[in-house]
Amino acid sequence: MSSEQDHLKETDTEARFEFKKEQNAAVKSDKGLTEEVIRMISEDKDEPDWMLERRLRALKQYQNMPMPTDWPGQPDLTELDIEEIVPYIRPDVDKREGVDDWTELPDEIKDTFDKLGIPEAEKNALSGVGAQYESEVVYQNMQEQWEEKGVVFMNMDKAVQEHPELVKEHFMTTCVPPSDNKFAALHGAVWSGGSFVYVPEDVTVEMPVQAYFRMNSEGMGQFEHTLIIAEEGSEVHYIEGCSAPKYGTHNLHSGGVEVFVGEDAHVQYSTVQNWSKNTFNLNTKRAICEENGTMEWVSGSMGSKATMLYPCTILKGRGSTDTHITIAFAGEDQDIDTGAKVYHNAPDTSSTIESKSIAKDGGRTNYRGLVHIADGAENSSTAVECDALMFDNESTSDTMPYMEIEESKVDVAHEATVGKIGDEDIFYLQSRGLDDDDAKKMIVAGFIEPITEELPIEYAVELNRLIELEMEGSLG
Amino acid sequence: MSAGTQVHANLTEEQVRQISGDLDEPDWLLETRLEALEALEELDMPDVIRTPGRDWTNLHELDFESLVDPLNAAENKDQVGPDEAEVLPWSEAVAEHEELLQEHFGSIVDPQENYLTALSTALFSTGTVVYVPEGVDAEDVTIRTEQNSSSLFNYTLVVTEESASVTIMERQSTGEEAEEQYYSGIVEVVAGENSNVQYGSLQNLSEEAYNFALKRGDADTYATINWIEVNVGTQLTKSGVSTELNGDSSETQIVGAFYGHNDQHFDLDAKVWHRGEHTTADLVTRGVTDDVARSVYEGVQDVGRDAWDTSSYQRENTLMLSDESEADASPKLIINNHDTEASHSATVGQIDQEDLLYMTSRGISPRDARNMLVEGFFVPVLDEIAVDELREDLEDLVAARLRKRD
Repeated sequence: MSSEQDHLKETDTEARFEFKKEQNAAVKSDKGLTEEVIRMISEDKDEPDWMLERRLRALKQYQNMPMPTDWPGQPDLTELDIEEIVPYIRPDVDKREGVDDWTELPDEIKDTFDKLGIPEAEKNALSGVGAQYESEVVYQNMQEQWEEKGVVFMNMDKAVQEHPELVKEHFMTTCVPPSDNKFAALHGAVWSGGSFVYVPEDVTVEMPVQAYFRMNSEGMGQFEHTLIIAEEGSEVHYIEGCSAPKYGTHNLHSGGVEVFVGEDAHVQYSTVQNWSKNTFNLNTKRAICEENGTMEWVSGSMGSKATMLYPCTILKGRGSTDTHITIAFAGEDQDIDTGAKVYHNAPDTSSTIESKSIAKDGGRTNYRGLVHIADGAENSSTAVECDALMFDNESTSDTMPYMEIEESKVDVAHEATVGKIGDEDIFYLQSRGLDDDDAKKMIVAGFIEPITEELPIEYAVELNRLIELEMEGSLG
Repeated sequence: MSAGTQVHANLTEEQVRQISGDLDEPDWLLETRLEALEALEELDMPDVIRTPGRDWTNLHELDFESLVDPLNAAENKDQVGPDEAEVLPWSEAVAEHEELLQEHFGSIVDPQENYLTALSTALFSTGTVVYVPEGVDAEDVTIRTEQNSSSLFNYTLVVTEESASVTIMERQSTGEEAEEQYYSGIVEVVAGENSNVQYGSLQNLSEEAYNFALKRGDADTYATINWIEVNVGTQLTKSGVSTELNGDSSETQIVGAFYGHNDQHFDLDAKVWHRGEHTTADLVTRGVTDDVARSVYEGVQDVGRDAWDTSSYQRENTLMLSDESEADASPKLIINNHDTEASHSATVGQIDQEDLLYMTSRGISPRDARNMLVEGFFVPVLDEIAVDELREDLEDLVAARLRKRD
């Protein structure tokens, strides 16, 4: 690693991720959620009427839906006051659709992404990068070779203007309609930024594309929308990362992700979530898989005050496959409630869910998952494995799987274990010369290895580093 | 939604006073009943699992108005036990052991836990109290209840003093069948220090019947409570079996077996609360669903903040014999102390086709092979059933049901 990247080895979370920049907004909405705010956002984006109508319809649905409060053991959302959240902040940059040269960005924004290591990663390991700051994408670039093959990777707002037919058909219609849940409805009303990815038939995008989402202002909400359409026989790996400085008041992140996996297509969606510990992270992510398609979700949830996230795959086509790999790490005052949902709606479908969670210093993790096998989904199989590691007696580790089986020709297996970090393992490593901290770090690294090995090496390293950061300080 | 809307007009304070008066109950017991009656307005049905677009069990469809007939309860009951232990009908227990009842009645299952427990508390007209004095080893306590009326509310209390031991075998069946019947049974087990309770239950009510059963035990230091819960009858059963491991080094085992066919619906849960230190739990349930039957299983292993050195294991397996049947399962772990070794597993599947092929290739007819495999599926549960009689009954019932099948 070059010396320019020394800051990436920074072990202080605040310096590494939670640094703050002066707010520099061109447009900032009022707090709260009113029709005026929605109209203002839509107008500021110069949106077509149909999108404004969808937003207003979603707002109505949002207003008519109750907050989810009756889930067993769900995170406490009482401190979240949506009327206090600023839903839209457009940063003051010259070019609305995002520049393709980092040096054209204002210094404070460029410096932010430099510190997060995004331009460096772009050079080494990615086919394209999108970077969102507050509510809008400020940087967007993709290697020419992919553009030539017809791959589209652009910011979602621009896609509304340039690909209206595709967006009209797929945006919050069949995959994640606003009626799905209160936060999906909220998202539908105030969404801004995010990525649009289109991969034509039989094109394999060899290196991942990445989007990075940064919230800088206190008390804001970020609502980026990601829409991925992978046509027949195509293949793409999308990575998203996110972070924010820590503030005394609450931030809200409520993203929406929709993935359309065509026949024989393969989509991997990887997330490294590192929101600051004043952020409520309430997302809806869903994929629909056609015949013999494959969807892979890889999620690392380290940040946020409370997370409720259950990436969902609908196995619609015969022979389609889903894989979920999830790591959750909850430290002090964190409640990470995450898991997976899979609907087997066709014969010969299979799903594998692997969840690893770590709770320490009074944090809580919960695996909450649903596997539904519909009547007629013959010869389907699902295997769910949840393992949890606990560091201390203040922490909580829950496992709440739900299995609904309407078809008899199936193979359904669920397994879960919970245990403390092994004294014997630590003793063994200490006898080999490691100190207590390093021994624990090594055990955790080993515990999550099945997941890190699914990520490109740069991200595996980043994930390990994030978890080491989380473990610093409280150990020993 | 409150279930209070289901309270029907003909359920009155006078009825409750009459039931209590006929049993010669003391005032405090009448008061508890009347409070439960009054609470019906406010109480909800027992929790059922709900996921987006799907209620795992719907209790609101039960038509209590036409089912519940509190003053016309009729049954045939045997309550037999060895001389060393007391096995008393409710009215005798009221007369002879008021202090014991006052101490324990409603101490484990809150009469106002939900609508159905309150209904049961207000209206129960029959029951059994098993009291085992210190150091006594009482085997073969048998409680047999045959329901002969449209509704029957039953209550059972088991108290074992220090180092006592008891094996109880309870059966419910239907005598005179009516089109629809409702059976409600609450069981409380108070296991004293170092005592041992084996409680086996075989529910074989008519397939027209509805059944609400709640069994819960409190295990003191070094105590063991082992439950065996077999469900074969009824069109709808909502059954809960649970143990609170409050005493250090206490243990519990919950063994469950069910066989649902036709349009039977079983909603079964097994729960354990680890509260003392060094406690151990083992939950094993196996069941079959056939025809359009539906099974719902919830297992909860809850480890408290101070439950150091906990061991907790859970296994659940469902075998689907028919393509039209459904099986839902939710095994949950709630762990608040890291000094815990806990695991659970659950499977759902059909008969292994390779096993079937192997057996038919050896000349066994497909039907016999299938029946043998189903009987074999129950073996791991049968092995755990310590009460011989109950094990044999379950084997017979499974075999009989398979014989009726093509």
